[in-house]
Amino acid sequence: MAGLLDYSAGTTILHRLHPLAKVFLALGICVAAFLCKNLIVLVCLLAFAISLGLIGGIYRKTAKLVLGLLGIAVFLFILQVLFIRSGTPVLLFITDNGLMTASFVVLRLMTATIPLALLLVLTQLNDLSNSLVKILHLPYRYAFTITTALRFIPVFTDEMSLIMESQTARGVNFDTKNPVRKIRLMIPLCVPLLVTSVGRIEQAAMAAEIRGFYLRTRSSGSKDYAFRPLDATVVAVVAALILVAVLL
Amino acid sequence: MSALLEFDGVCFSYGRKSDEAGFVCDLNFSIDKGEYVAIIGGNGAGKTTTSKLINGLLKPSEGRVTVDGLTTTDHAVSKLAKKVGMLFQDPDRQICKNTVREELAFGLEIRGLAADEIKSRVDEVVSDFGFAPGASPFTLSRGERQMLALASVVICDPEILVLDEPTTGLDYRECMHIMERTRVLNEKGTTVIMICHDMEVVLDFAERIIVMAQGRIIADGDSAGIFRDEDVMRKASVLPPMMIDLSLRLSERADLKDRFGGFSSVDELLEILAKSTSARARS
Ligand SMILES: Nc1ncnc2c1ncn2[C@@H]1O[C@H](COP(=O)(O)OP(=O)(O)O)[C@@H](O)[C@H]1O
Ligand SMILES: [Mg+2]
Repeated sequence: MAGLLDYSAGTTILHRLHPLAKVFLALGICVAAFLCKNLIVLVCLLAFAISLGLIGGIYRKTAKLVLGLLGIAVFLFILQVLFIRSGTPVLLFITDNGLMTASFVVLRLMTATIPLALLLVLTQLNDLSNSLVKILHLPYRYAFTITTALRFIPVFTDEMSLIMESQTARGVNFDTKNPVRKIRLMIPLCVPLLVTSVGRIEQAAMAAEIRGFYLRTRSSGSKDYAFRPLDATVVAVVAALILVAVLL
Repeated sequence: MSALLEFDGVCFSYGRKSDEAGFVCDLNFSIDKGEYVAIIGGNGAGKTTTSKLINGLLKPSEGRVTVDGLTTTDHAVSKLAKKVGMLFQDPDRQICKNTVREELAFGLEIRGLAADEIKSRVDEVVSDFGFAPGASPFTLSRGERQMLALASVVICDPEILVLDEPTTGLDYRECMHIMERTRVLNEKGTTVIMICHDMEVVLDFAERIIVMAQGRIIADGDSAGIFRDEDVMRKASVLPPMMIDLSLRLSERADLKDRFGGFSSVDELLEILAKSTSARARS
């Protein structure tokens, strides 16, 4: 899991896109996924989302992401099918309504998650926060909070795996196959995770302050983010996608 | 009789095979019961990787690691943990209970010991180490937390104790405190394997040194001999302890070589000096 959401450097068309165009693209696909009422269109949207990963040249990460989500999706699908009782039975206790709703939930989940994850992988967090500040006039402290929170995710997952390693070495049986047992074992570990994380965050905050965090204004930052025709095209495509999703 | 710990042609790599980084290979050594061994080498030499191979946190991709006859590939870490205790650099990753007493008891509870047995062992360790049993671990100092982490490992009475840079970030007194503990345990028969960057500590405590560089073992032998091998020291990018360095430099001079070529501690140097002054006084 660690590193899955880290930035992957590259020069593909998606890397070169304006950060805000990428945000618009990702959010647009999410919105389209939730507005869409046609299963086929939803599948096409999902395919489009996955193909973005391929265009971005991050084949392995995309595959891992899709596989990881597929695991959750299967679980969700089974739950939904088991618990939805309305509609006509198709097989044993499974109803057509259940199948339909479950498919929608699962496809929407995947279609909405993948572009957001890809956004993080294909955009440098600095670019993201700087363009939010410069163009959308988001106060820098909020942008900083968002990007820092995102940046700390891999730090936390690494830390958690080190803590688990440490506890396994003591004899805690994490190698168990029973997921409920495993989660029960993991809960007490939140204490060391919290202790080390709070320490880290305090250090990061202090480091930011020492380096003049409060001196920063909207015009700070050496990069300019200009919109280009390509970005406009993307915005148009996304608008069209949403329209299609609503109309079909 | 076979050794307590055996590495037999062990290779391991974090990534793809072809990557040079994150790669240890050709690890061959065996450690007998009761030895005190130090593993030294520069950063990224593969020491931590080797230590994780010992208790099965990492499984070798080639070759075999056996701990007291158990092959690590065939057994869960939680089972091997009964034989191998491991102390990491950061005690905060290990401590997960609210009081010192609970923390000490945790390892024994996992092993399924009876409550009164746990209580008596915890009491013993508390008085032995001088802990305040009701204190919260997070109010303790860094050195005390490391001591607690060590105590909650040794309370389970492992046959092998692996220490990965146990004294980094501690002051001299705290460091000696921990190290003296390991010496006492070693004298009682625990096999100690220590990874350490402080060569003075290594010389004082370890009888045997395994030197690693770029994922391989480049030397393995008794401490004084290893530290005198300048070629090995350079390859491992470590400086020998000060007294050995002094002895080596003195022995570069032909007139001093015979007298000063062989000491490795302050005491030995003093002895040589005392001998030579008394010889001069006599003549
Ligand atoms: N979890 C990991 N994933 C990938 N590479 C790693 C990991 N841990 C260590 N490495 C790499 O393995 C090599 C040896 O590391 P390590 O055994 O920690 O060295 P040492 O403890 O001697 O400093 C280093 O090049 C390091 O970058
Ligand atoms: Mg290390």
